[in-house]
Amino acid sequence: MLEIKDLHARIADGGAEILKGITLTVPKGEVHAIMGPNGSGKSTLAYVIAGRADYEVTSGDILWNGASLLGSSPDERAAAGVFLAFQYPMEIPGVSTMTFLRTSVNATRKKRGQKEYSTPEFMKVARAAAAHLDVKDDMLRRALNVGFSGGEKKRMEVLQMALLEPTLCVLDETDSGLDIDAIRIVSEGANKLRGPDKAMLVITHYQRLLNYITPDKVHVLAHGRIQKTGGKELALDLEKTGYAEFSGKAA
Amino acid sequence: MTVAMIKTKAEQGLAADFAAWARDLPGSAAIGKLREEAMAAFERSGLPHRRIEAWKYTDLRAAVKAFAPIATTDDVEVSTAELDAALGRLATIDADRMVFVNGRHRPNLSTAKPQVHLFTLGEVLQTGGSLAGLSDSEAMVALNGALASDGAVIDIHDGTTLAKPILIVMVAAGPMAQLNSLRHVIKLGAGATATVIEAHVVLAGAQASQSNAVLEVAVADAASLTHIMVSLEGSAATRIETVVATLGAGANLKSFQLTVGCGLARNQTFARFAGEKGKLDISGLMLGRGREHIDTTLVIDHAVPGCESRELFKAVLDDAARAVFQGKVIVRPNAQKTDGKQMAKALMLSEACEFDSKPELEIYADDVVCGHGATVAEIDPGMMFYLRSRGIPKDEARAMLIESFAGEALEKIEDAAIRDVLSEIVRNWLVAGHG
Ligand SMILES: Nc1ncnc2c1ncn2[C@@H]1O[C@H](COP(=O)(O)OP(=O)(O)O)[C@@H](O)[C@H]1O
Ligand SMILES: [Mg+2]
Repeated sequence: MLEIKDLHARIADGGAEILKGITLTVPKGEVHAIMGPNGSGKSTLAYVIAGRADYEVTSGDILWNGASLLGSSPDERAAAGVFLAFQYPMEIPGVSTMTFLRTSVNATRKKRGQKEYSTPEFMKVARAAAAHLDVKDDMLRRALNVGFSGGEKKRMEVLQMALLEPTLCVLDETDSGLDIDAIRIVSEGANKLRGPDKAMLVITHYQRLLNYITPDKVHVLAHGRIQKTGGKELALDLEKTGYAEFSGKAA
Repeated sequence: MTVAMIKTKAEQGLAADFAAWARDLPGSAAIGKLREEAMAAFERSGLPHRRIEAWKYTDLRAAVKAFAPIATTDDVEVSTAELDAALGRLATIDADRMVFVNGRHRPNLSTAKPQVHLFTLGEVLQTGGSLAGLSDSEAMVALNGALASDGAVIDIHDGTTLAKPILIVMVAAGPMAQLNSLRHVIKLGAGATATVIEAHVVLAGAQASQSNAVLEVAVADAASLTHIMVSLEGSAATRIETVVATLGAGANLKSFQLTVGCGLARNQTFARFAGEKGKLDISGLMLGRGREHIDTTLVIDHAVPGCESRELFKAVLDDAARAVFQGKVIVRPNAQKTDGKQMAKALMLSEACEFDSKPELEIYADDVVCGHGATVAEIDPGMMFYLRSRGIPKDEARAMLIESFAGEALEKIEDAAIRDVLSEIVRNWLVAGHG
């Protein structure tokens, strides 16, 4: 279970407060969506869960399966099962995608006490997972995300998610910039990772993605707080009314 | 007007010892005379210092407190196993070796090839026409001429392709620090092709040396030379290396210079296009930590039309290390259609490290494409977070990003086997930093 308790976070070194008291619980086995206008703090929430040092938690807590994540480094969180699919995946020149994936998966397996893959073993595993997401061999050989299209980057995020076998998945606008076929591929990939032991937070600006990844609950985040929570029909209402209802409510 | 400078202790010691040292150096009376002239030229200018523009960042006058003596005997036993240990991964390169220990050739450690001629020192000095011209202005070349103890003369005949690279190994061995002055000559005849690797190493347990080497390179028309220099001497060593290269028409010279930490290193290359359509690529990596100081200085002379020069130097600096890149490109008035590009990039891993970059374009022709750039960067925190969010621990993520930075330079090495060896040397340097 993911429990976010009255979470306040600001930009590190005394910058502006962005998250102003977020309280949210995602039980295991559930998928929750977070929707909200641009600039409302959705990506910040995702980064804070993953442990990005640019933000500072000033009060509150984030618990995953009862243990606080806040004292852990990003790599320790990854080993604990946290995965963030980035809204804007980073390009890493000079590091081949395959080498990166193997390093990432083996480092994580090692920390989880699992056996590391040999290079040939890993190649097989990676290629099989890549095929499901329509990630071509050529992409695996290229430098990570360098020169990838928007859609390719997002599929690469979902491939990483599949290979790292996370239990808490945070998808930050994985649908943005994707055409309908790509959304279908990416959603199928994400849906495969649903399970009784797993929780998922799907951040999106539009309702469209939720046609493919059906959420158990929808939360509206605006001005650094959850303003409203409802069932999946809330997403459809928002699609009609927009976020106007929340835009005036400055904290 | 030049101001006469008071001789430093090091210069005074050298002047006092020279006559005695010269008696132990090989060569006829005529060679002895050449040595004296070279010494006189060195004494006139003295050690280069910061008031000489080209030595602004690397003040040898201040840095060299004393010269170590030259090696007068070659009684330090060195086994192939010890040599291989000092070479590390370089030992795995399948190459013909020419090994010099404390400035003298060791036939028992070498595997010379029939096409490769090792001349005596006298012949080396007599072949040095272009170097003699430089002696006056380049103090360290003059000093090398005065003290040159030996060197490899590699003469590759027209149209010959060397099957294997030649590995010139310069070894510091024994308990005493020494001043080594090797002078090598590489000549490729028309249409010849070769790879020559230079390695500077210090044997385990040996004193690091002072080394002042000169390499003269002449690549004839349509010939192609790959030159790789690797310095593994460590933070106690001082090394000056001067490469003087001439390229004929349609000649191709690819040089890669890897300095893996050195107390004080100056790699200076003077390259001149003597024939049209020549191609030159000089690239390299400078890796420094502690108080190491690594200087790369290039002077590329486009004396004729239609030639191409490329330089990419990268520095990875930690602690209080300092790297210098000075790149001067001269385009003579008739050198139309010159294409010259230069880039220097540094990755700074600490607050206290320093990178000085000084590009200079002297362009006297109008129809040319020339450019230069320099960047200084730190490890990108966004990239670090991305890698770490994928479970990669901090040190490993950092090493990956440094390697990827260095990788762009290493890519310049075309031979995959040699590139892999150098990549591993870079990786080992990174790992050592976290030990
Ligand atoms: N590192 C940062 N530095 C400065 N401002 C930031 C930083 N991160 C986020 N912000 C600001 O915080 C607000 C929330 O941003 P974000 O979490 O990216 O919103 P969303 O993902 O909902 O569009 C925005 O006003 C944004 O400009
Ligand atoms: Mg966002």
